[in-house]
Amino acid sequence: MKLAAQYNRTNIFITIGVLIVGAAIYFFAINYIARSQLDDDLSEEIEEVQDYVVLNHQLPKQVDFDEDQTVFIKTDLKKLDRVYFDTTYTNQKENKAEPGRAVAALVSLHGVNYKAVIIVSRESTEYIIQFIALITLGLMVGVLIVLFLANRYFLNDLWKPFYYLLHQIKSFSISDDGGFKLSDNKIDEFAELSLAIESMASRVRSDYQNLKHITDNASHEMLTPLAVITSKLDTLIQYQTLPPELYEQINDIYAATSKLSRLNQTLLLLTKIENQLIDDNEQVDLCSLVREKTRQFQELISAKHIQCAENLQEKNILASKYLIDIMLNNLMSNAIRHNIDDGHIIISLNETGLTFKNTGLNKPLDYDDIFERFKKGKRSDGVGLGLALVSNICQLYQWKITYSYKDQYHIFQINF
Amino acid sequence: MKILVVEDERGLRENITTYFSEEGNICESCCDLATAIAKLSIYHYDCILLDIGLPDGDGFAVLEYLKLNRRDEVVIIISARNSLDDKIRGLNIGADDYLTKPFHLAELKARVIAVYRRKAANGKNLLVFNEIIIDLHGRTVTVNDTPIVLTRKEYDMLLYFIANKGKVIAKNALAEHLWGDEIDMHNNFDFIYTHIKNLRKKIIDAGGKDYLESVYGIGYKFKAI
Repeated sequence: MKLAAQYNRTNIFITIGVLIVGAAIYFFAINYIARSQLDDDLSEEIEEVQDYVVLNHQLPKQVDFDEDQTVFIKTDLKKLDRVYFDTTYTNQKENKAEPGRAVAALVSLHGVNYKAVIIVSRESTEYIIQFIALITLGLMVGVLIVLFLANRYFLNDLWKPFYYLLHQIKSFSISDDGGFKLSDNKIDEFAELSLAIESMASRVRSDYQNLKHITDNASHEMLTPLAVITSKLDTLIQYQTLPPELYEQINDIYAATSKLSRLNQTLLLLTKIENQLIDDNEQVDLCSLVREKTRQFQELISAKHIQCAENLQEKNILASKYLIDIMLNNLMSNAIRHNIDDGHIIISLNETGLTFKNTGLNKPLDYDDIFERFKKGKRSDGVGLGLALVSNICQLYQWKITYSYKDQYHIFQINF
Repeated sequence: MKILVVEDERGLRENITTYFSEEGNICESCCDLATAIAKLSIYHYDCILLDIGLPDGDGFAVLEYLKLNRRDEVVIIISARNSLDDKIRGLNIGADDYLTKPFHLAELKARVIAVYRRKAANGKNLLVFNEIIIDLHGRTVTVNDTPIVLTRKEYDMLLYFIANKGKVIAKNALAEHLWGDEIDMHNNFDFIYTHIKNLRKKIIDAGGKDYLESVYGIGYKFKAI
């Protein structure tokens, strides 16, 4: 749930609650005030009645009391406190019952006690209360609507810098040098946040750059010692007085050295691709390049008695020939290396994609991290950078590479 | 051939010097830019093997010096930097080849000889080794005046062997030369044997001597008899 919606909801619930409680208090207060006003009037009238009786020694006539209805009831009570109560008022003109308020008190005339009851209509007060309640209700609805709209538009507006920042963070790329475009924030919190994010981003970027420089330098520095080892070995094997067992050892050192140098070159290449330092794009005839590749690998293919089938259509792409060559080398090399004796390789190329299918282990590879660096099969004696390199090259040209396993074929599909 | 090796890494410098010093070659070496320029101002060389990353400056300075003085030494750059820019820059200001470290000495020798031959040939395209005559231009080979038909790999192999005659060449080095170092051979060099066998047979069939010799499973040697 969005923060604004959550805030809106809480806000509206609280407002409604406060308004309802407020309305109730308001209603009771007005009711109370109206009632005490009526009671005041009634007490005045009953006093008038009592005065009239004392003065005129007779009960007052009905007409003297306007609309009020006065009733005198003989009673044996010696004492009666003045009481106010709600009752029904019968409007004789309109002949209907209305809510009324009454007062009862004791009046004595010629030694006879009468209970005097005066009833007045409460309708006008009721009407005022209803009217006030209506206004209050209208006010409530009005406040709610205004609140809702204000929250919706004002708050959304308020959070705009936040969403802008969020968008910037989402599109943040560590290797991309484009800095944050910070909007001029009037809100302190957002201004602070964007400053913090900006400094974090530049710190992360510079750390990353440093790391890349280290990789780059380390890889370069490693090449000279490797050259020394290779040249020493080349010199060593010239001495034919060496015992044959030593040659086996030397062979292993050769193998390790060439593996190390290959690893190094791949790492350097990966850094270069990630830094987008390779931009010698040209029109590459992929079809003839694939053909050439199978020719280059011919010896390796026939050494394993692999059947290699090509299904190629003409396809030109705009890319670095060097990188495409490396990509094909790796795909081809993998297809052979992980193949079985008397296996198959099927290479197909058409307008939309390039596919390498090869037989191999009778179970699919691990889908998730197959394109990760230094992930390799247990049987593999490679360095585990081949597919990472291929995937990086694909990424550079915005192609999609996928792996699947179907009918005993491992399939690497590149979609242009 | 008179060769100058400009390389600051002692181990590498010594090995290159030793490898090139045989069969009448004179090989001198130095480890920094200043010495290199000083040597070049006094002596004349046929070939310079030049490292780019030197302690007192850029190896490119040597190339500029040679260009400025209109010298015609063959220059092969040996560099740890495998960058296209460096390659283009080096070749543009007068280097004849560019070899990235690490490399096999046999590969270096083959490059030196190929470049030197190209520059010094002056139109002569014939490489003669005893009874074997190679027409570098037409890429044809005759043994005792009998033409033999070689595949591309066999032809390249023969040139490589002749450049490194008398040396033991690791299978590793041979494979990298023939297939390029981008292709991972998976340490499976068995198929090299087939090419060697065919080449050897073709030369012997044409009446040539048996030059090719296998060395303890590590490589081959083209006997310099």
